Amino acid sequence: MADTAPATTTAPPTRAVSRPVSEALLNEKWDRCFSNLIIKSSLGLGFGVVFSVLLFKRRAWPAFVGVGFGAGRAYEECNSSLKQAAKEIRKQA
Amino acid sequence: MLRTSIRSVRALGSRPVAAVSGRQWQASAARRAVVSGQRFYADDKKPLVDEAKLPAAETLTAPTTPPPPPPQTAPAATITPEQAPLTPPAPGPAVVPPPPPPAPPVVPKKKGFFRRLRNFLLKLVLLGVLGFGGGVWYSRINDNFHDFFTQYVPYGEEAVLYLEELDFRKRFPNVANRVTGRRAETASEQVNIPAQSGASWRVADGDHAGRQSSGVAQKVVAAKDTVKETINDIVKPEPATVTKAKKDTTALPKVEATDATLEKAKGAVAPAEKTKEAAVIPTAATSSKTKEFTAPDVNEPSVWPPASPIDPLSVPHADDPIVQQLVHMLNDIITVINYDGAADKYSQTIWKAKDEVSRVGERILSIKSVAEEEAAKQVKARIDSFDKHANDLVSRLEAIMLAQEQQWRQEFEAEVERLKHSYDDKIKLIQEREKKLSEQKLHNKLLEQAVELQRQFSQDIKKHVEEERDGRLGRLESLSKAVSELEKLTTGLNEVVDTNLRTQQLHVAVEAVRASLEDAHHPRPFIKELVALKEIAADDPVVDAAIASIHPSAYQRGISTSAELIDRFRRVAAEVRKASLLPEDAGVASHASSYLLSKVMFKKQGLAAGDDVESILTRTQTFLEEGDLDNAAREMNTLGGWAKTLSRDWLGEVRKVLEVQQALDVITTEARLQSLKVE
Repeated sequence: MADTAPATTTAPPTRAVSRPVSEALLNEKWDRCFSNLIIKSSLGLGFGVVFSVLLFKRRAWPAFVGVGFGAGRAYEECNSSLKQAAKEIRKQA
Repeated sequence: MLRTSIRSVRALGSRPVAAVSGRQWQASAARRAVVSGQRFYADDKKPLVDEAKLPAAETLTAPTTPPPPPPQTAPAATITPEQAPLTPPAPGPAVVPPPPPPAPPVVPKKKGFFRRLRNFLLKLVLLGVLGFGGGVWYSRINDNFHDFFTQYVPYGEEAVLYLEELDFRKRFPNVANRVTGRRAETASEQVNIPAQSGASWRVADGDHAGRQSSGVAQKVVAAKDTVKETINDIVKPEPATVTKAKKDTTALPKVEATDATLEKAKGAVAPAEKTKEAAVIPTAATSSKTKEFTAPDVNEPSVWPPASPIDPLSVPHADDPIVQQLVHMLNDIITVINYDGAADKYSQTIWKAKDEVSRVGERILSIKSVAEEEAAKQVKARIDSFDKHANDLVSRLEAIMLAQEQQWRQEFEAEVERLKHSYDDKIKLIQEREKKLSEQKLHNKLLEQAVELQRQFSQDIKKHVEEERDGRLGRLESLSKAVSELEKLTTGLNEVVDTNLRTQQLHVAVEAVRASLEDAHHPRPFIKELVALKEIAADDPVVDAAIASIHPSAYQRGISTSAELIDRFRRVAAEVRKASLLPEDAGVASHASSYLLSKVMFKKQGLAAGDDVESILTRTQTFLEEGDLDNAAREMNTLGGWAKTLSRDWLGEVRKVLEVQQALDVITTEARLQSLKVE
């Protein structure tokens, strides 16, 4: 579920140009991060809503918890990708 | 063990019940002591000591009485084990021993310091004695212990030695006595060698007769001494007479010498006779006195010594072999007689023989002397006659010699004159020949000089002719050379024209390339122009290298213009500014913060100093605005981290442009150089 969603959203810009221009590298990463954040938080929200309806008598907090999980996961992925890129840069230097 | 236990039981059992009850436990204690003594008397003597103590305690009054008790108790202790086997059958005597130790029932515990000390000393002495005794005994058994004991225990060695000697004497009483007795004898008496002991001398070695040491022999020696003295007395005057005779007779040495020898021989014979006479007397006396003690043996050597001097006398003086042989024979006979011991029998005959021998010698000598005198006379007469003959011969020879000398001198002078003449003739001949030779030589030299002059003249003529000829030929050659140079020049001119054309074409091509690059408002491939340039260059290595240095993508896709580059730089700079404040290991938060903060930052202008990203970017922008692509690229190259990765593509683009520009510059300079070369 998580794999397919980002692929569809971020694939078109990268595929249009075979290799991204160097000055667009960072922007591209940011774009991916944002899309990831949106998808994951919305997924979390959905799960939270479902849980709140099914188990928690339509309480609000399960939905917030779901959004938080999704956002946190997206943030962590973005962070790791950025750090990976930084490492590669350092290796090249 | 078994026996002792049984015995003790029996003793207890056999003991009469009527025994005093008051003594009972004391007696039992004593018995126990006895039993213990029986058991361990071989290894430990403690019970003895204990018993020895008891009586000492009994006699409180006298401290000096300890000695008596031990003997009392000791027998009791010694008796009990010995009598032990005896006691069991007869209970009666067994009762007897107990009485001695009745007293010590109540052992008073008061023991003064001195008493204790005394007891201690007693124990110590007893132990010491026992230990010493044991050591002595054991040292006789064990060798190692013997060594140790004798070495380290005082008086141990003496004791052991004494014991050993005692034992030795006990074992071999005779030997021991003998050994000691002998020693005593040797100490007291002197050595006496019995008279008959040892080897006795024989008759044969008469020379050693004087060495006899026995009392009997001394007498004989005395007799012999007297004999010898007499001999010496007789012999000494004789040489004196001989010397006198020598002095008197010096006219005829040879004859005299023989006489002297004869006389000496006589003298030698005479003393011998006399000594014999003298010797016979004592021998007779001695023989009569000591017939029992091998008197004949003693006597005969006395006959022998006078005979012996004959030999040494006869050898040096008696020249005559016959006399010598006779003397030898006589001596042999005498010796034989002496060995046989029959000197008495043959002495007279031998004397006669000796007399006769001496007479024979005298006769021979007299005959010899007469013959020699006659011979001397004859010799003298002969010598005189020889002298006369010799003188005659000498005088004759001298006369002949003089005559011959005169003859030879005359001949010699004649020879000399003849030789002089012949040599003079020869000298004259040689002088004439030499003169002729010198004249001939001079003539030859003149002829040679004439020939040389002719040759020189011909050579000079030849030289002149050749020089003339060479000069003309040289001119012809120089002319041909000039013609060929002219030809070369014409060909060179053609080449120059060709190269000029080529360089012009090169210039044109380069200009075309440059124009195509500059005209373009957007990147356009200039591969055709480059191909044309390469063809025109015609394998020029410099041009080839320059073209090879251009990246293929550059001429395939074309290069961006400076306006495009500046436009792109602006975009790149904006992105780089966003990432200008990033730390090394940046996460999402740091990226976001840098993005936000970069918007708030002030912008610099001109050639700003500093190594931060903002100043580098401003510097690059100014360089770009000035059109200095090279420096701009250098500045951007100093960036690091995210900023560098973001500006990587732009830098690549700038590099391509720079490469192309450099290559074109190189080619134009090459073209210019070629045109200069041609000129």
